[in-house]
Amino acid sequence: MAQVFPRAINKLPLILGAVGALAPAVAGAFVWYYFSPRYTDVGYQPTQPVPYSHKLHAGEFGIDCRYCHASVETSAVANVPPTQVCMNCHKLVQRDSPKLEALRVSAQSGQPMRWVRVHKLPDYAYFEHRAHLHAGIGCVSCHGHIEDMETVGQVEPLSMSWCLDCHRNPTPHRRPRAEVTNMKWTPPRDPAARQAQLEQLGPVRPPVDCSGCHR
Amino acid sequence: MTQLNQWRSLAGLRGDPQVEEFVKGEFAPGADLPPDATTRREFMTLAGASLSLAGCRRPVEHIVPFVEAPEHTLPGVPKRYATTMPCGTSAYGLVVESHEGHPTKIEGNELHPATLGSSNARMQAATLELFDPDRSTHVLHKGERAAWADFVTAWKSLAAVHQQDGGAGLAVLAEPFAAPTLARLAAAFKQAFPKARWVTWEPTGEEHVHAGLERAAGRPLVRVHDLSAAKVVLALDSDFLLGDPEMVRHTRGLSQSRRVTSPDETPVRLYAVEGLHSVTGANADHRLRLQSRLVPAFVAALASELAHQGLALAAPAAEPPPGVTPAFVKALAADLLAHRGASLIIGGRRQPPALHAAVYALNAALGNAGRTVSYHEPVDTTLPSTAALGDLTRALGQGEVKTLVVLGANPAYAAPVDLGFAEAAKKAAEVVHVGLHVDETAALASWHVPAAHFLEAWGDARAAGGTPSVVQPLILPLYGGKSATEVLGLLATGEDKPGYDLVRATWQPVLGAAEFEKRWNRVLHDGLLADALLPALAPPPAAASLLEALSAEAARLGGASAALELVFEPCPRIHDGRYANLAWLQELPDAMTKAVWDNPLLLSPKTADALGLAKEEDTFAQRVRVEVSGRSLELPAIRVPGMADGTLVATLGYGRRAAGRVGNGVGIDTYALRGSEALDLALGATVKTLGAKVELSRTQEHGSMEGRAIVRSASVAEYRADPNFAHDAHAPELFSLWEEKKYTESPQWGMTIDLASCTGCNACAVACQSENNVPVVGKEQVRRGREMAWLRIDRYFEGEVETAGAVFQPVPCMQCENAPCEQVCPVAATVHDEQGLNAMVYNRCIGTRYCSNNCPYKVRRFNFFNYTKDTPESLKLAMNPDVTVRSRGVMEKCTYCVQRANRGRLDAKLGDRKLKDGDVKTACQQACPAQAIVFGDITDPDSQVSKLKRQPRNYSLLEELNTKPRTTYLARLRNPNPALEAHAPAGKDAHHG
Repeated sequence: MAQVFPRAINKLPLILGAVGALAPAVAGAFVWYYFSPRYTDVGYQPTQPVPYSHKLHAGEFGIDCRYCHASVETSAVANVPPTQVCMNCHKLVQRDSPKLEALRVSAQSGQPMRWVRVHKLPDYAYFEHRAHLHAGIGCVSCHGHIEDMETVGQVEPLSMSWCLDCHRNPTPHRRPRAEVTNMKWTPPRDPAARQAQLEQLGPVRPPVDCSGCHR
Repeated sequence: MTQLNQWRSLAGLRGDPQVEEFVKGEFAPGADLPPDATTRREFMTLAGASLSLAGCRRPVEHIVPFVEAPEHTLPGVPKRYATTMPCGTSAYGLVVESHEGHPTKIEGNELHPATLGSSNARMQAATLELFDPDRSTHVLHKGERAAWADFVTAWKSLAAVHQQDGGAGLAVLAEPFAAPTLARLAAAFKQAFPKARWVTWEPTGEEHVHAGLERAAGRPLVRVHDLSAAKVVLALDSDFLLGDPEMVRHTRGLSQSRRVTSPDETPVRLYAVEGLHSVTGANADHRLRLQSRLVPAFVAALASELAHQGLALAAPAAEPPPGVTPAFVKALAADLLAHRGASLIIGGRRQPPALHAAVYALNAALGNAGRTVSYHEPVDTTLPSTAALGDLTRALGQGEVKTLVVLGANPAYAAPVDLGFAEAAKKAAEVVHVGLHVDETAALASWHVPAAHFLEAWGDARAAGGTPSVVQPLILPLYGGKSATEVLGLLATGEDKPGYDLVRATWQPVLGAAEFEKRWNRVLHDGLLADALLPALAPPPAAASLLEALSAEAARLGGASAALELVFEPCPRIHDGRYANLAWLQELPDAMTKAVWDNPLLLSPKTADALGLAKEEDTFAQRVRVEVSGRSLELPAIRVPGMADGTLVATLGYGRRAAGRVGNGVGIDTYALRGSEALDLALGATVKTLGAKVELSRTQEHGSMEGRAIVRSASVAEYRADPNFAHDAHAPELFSLWEEKKYTESPQWGMTIDLASCTGCNACAVACQSENNVPVVGKEQVRRGREMAWLRIDRYFEGEVETAGAVFQPVPCMQCENAPCEQVCPVAATVHDEQGLNAMVYNRCIGTRYCSNNCPYKVRRFNFFNYTKDTPESLKLAMNPDVTVRSRGVMEKCTYCVQRANRGRLDAKLGDRKLKDGDVKTACQQACPAQAIVFGDITDPDSQVSKLKRQPRNYSLLEELNTKPRTTYLARLRNPNPALEAHAPAGKDAHHG
């Protein structure tokens, strides 16, 4: 009688056993990694329509963040500046730079710029910039050293557990309100001076309830 | 206290097994079935496919800033503008919230006398109307797209033709208005075309009221009621608390005169005499069921009794109509006389002019004129006239009218059927229609011009009483629409001018040239011209013969055969049909019948039994054929407990043929029964029951709490004897199985709902829908118990079936401190926060629905489907960006408007101040015209909510479950006349037990 199954079939139970043993581990690892806050968009660094350099503007020129992101202290969102704000300077400076072509087109045609969002929270999370600035949280705490970035990328995970780490213990991240946009600020060495600084800021009780950010 | 027998529906009262089945289960049978034939398996396949297509990659999102940012506009910070919603001869001052340039939420304007900061369901739905995807988007010429400039050219040549004979072949059919600019332009039009016809008409106006007042006073007058000062109010077939155009003003006034803070105060006493069972009747302390046609006879008897008891009134002797005891009339007359100058009689729009003339005389004789009711000159106002529409239609039929311009009205749908408007209009060479939709009338028109919505056009208006205000747009016209002002400007002057210029030209002489800009900006900011109230007129003396005329009218109506009377009632939600395409209003359960997406014929249980109508079921209704004046119509019929026997109610506004995707074919067009000989009250109707049953969606059994003492009430006398009547003396001591959470932070949010103030008007429900992006699910889904309303208004009938009264109870989430929902959620998707809110975390919810099962108040709503998936682009602009749009498979419920609470707290913190009472208002609280809902910090002893919670009337719903709800109720109070309580029913009145 001819063999019904080829010889290779003999290995099947072994293969099945190996796959059966490995598959849950792979699946587990998959879930472990991708369902965890570790899988975030850190390093996301999209190309923008105009190669705007924060390193040049914020770093070398030292332009304050709020010159462009003007609504950050009064609104939930830190606005991206209107074309007009860029043109305030670029009407005079670098008038013919090919890099600014898109900007000039926008200013002339009235068609808005389409910048690519870098720091994105899910739609069901409601973040308030103004609350954080008022509590003395500097830009650098969430956005990293923007002043060193040629192209802005995401440096912090922006995950819920990362948010909560700070909400549960905000003190190390707080600074005088006047220093929130200062990228180079460091807390004073002298503990007494630091204490005085914090006292001047007043107590803060960031929400750790769901309803603080989700609604 | 006397706790009356309370029940939700006739079928439930009878113990219908179907209803018991429905109530027993948390979800309706078949609630987990999909809406169409798609099986669950197919559904999973589809869901899987869409997931794999979407993939797991991060979508690229763009930020699109302005090129040139407008001044004072910050992204993420909503702005508020005052504007005015014109509606017929009424105008409502509003403050509209705008997010990034699109209006999202309507509130009343606190400075405006018609709203005083409150609003109603229709005002709330204005944003939905603005963004209605079915609005007309183009000028149409004979059905083909054209441009506004084409119409301007066409009009100029038409005008040149008509100018030759003074406009003899020209006619304008407009809706009534009270607006300075429109009045100015209408006058200019009449000057330019002296022979042209100008017809003002609306299907459900207050023509009888105007005619009655003119007959009584000898000149046209507009009445304005002030209920805040009243002690005794008599409503004669009048639904002044819901159906009336001034319902917000009335409800605000009544809530003021009804509010008691201690047992020493006496609330207003409200009598209602009516055929149907209206919301006003439900709120009355004494409600007399009486056919509408007998109301004039009742008033004649009342006048005779008042004269008998010493009021200076030349009233002929009259006996009360059948079904009314002399004792009732005597007691009512004595009560009115005891409160001269603080009483008020209100006649309903359906009643004949003779009744309104008599009411004028009675109010004058009782000294109420100038106190509880004031009369004003109708300045800048055109009043509607169906007779004029009849003349116009005849002229059209005879070919006398060459060009007809229809400004906003929809006569092809709503004109009395015997006129044959649609046929007649075809004889005109040109019909120009200006409207928001390509509706039934637009189908007849050679030119259709899309109208601009009031939120996108300049205009002005006068509120009842004369207060002028400006209609300020919040957005440019979405579809290039033109306002009535702009179109009339073109008609009158031949020049195409922007509405802004036309309105400012009207206001120039009013505000004066010297400080015009400054004062104009003040008017825009405040939403009204504060110091321009028209003085109330000293009412001219009533003619002596008014009461004799009333007796004649009473004899005419009362003498008719005992056959049925058919009354026509504009829908309290979609009005005369103009709001038929607004899904929020279609899905809002009717205050009394709790029917949605439908307009069944209403009749009393006894009448229904006599006609052989099948037993009442919750979700089916038997079809009947109604015949009146030679016209007949088939429609479903349902019983309404407490209605007068022999009265049929046909609700107008349904069965639209060209309203849009929402309103088309919803309900039955009852205009088909309505002829010009009997517009609102038709005698001699007959009804034949037919075999077929039709499905009906009613929410009255949804969320049942099964016979427990839910709505607690007492009379004022009982309240005085026992202020703690609302509390159960035998309640056991409550203890918890768990260690209870302690709330230490401030604020702790809490709410009270005063059932003594609440009238059941539904404003809160629509406000909640607008604020919280609550989806609409459709008639079939409501049948399955899947309506999504976060705030429902329960209606309980009280007492015996025939004479039943009704009470209302708004039920939002109770925000229990010991929340039963939280204890059963396997994934902690519903948890408490530090402010005492029961938070719902959508992104954690996996849809087990255990929470809803365990909720004793039945306030949780489950997204069985992705109801928002197919939301048209334009409607997305009406959504509140501060609230998550929920997806399929998650539970949702009232959040106490946590987005407002968070914003309020943050605003206070950033302003370095403490949160004040009133800084945070929930959407329902802000809308409520009865001010029945109060929200605030319960740790602040001086907050309004804390004070109310300390009142003895305060009670918790299902307190015995130890859920410790943060939302509590203030028990209802009735103020029955002691003279009538001794005699039991004076005829059929129901409200005292």
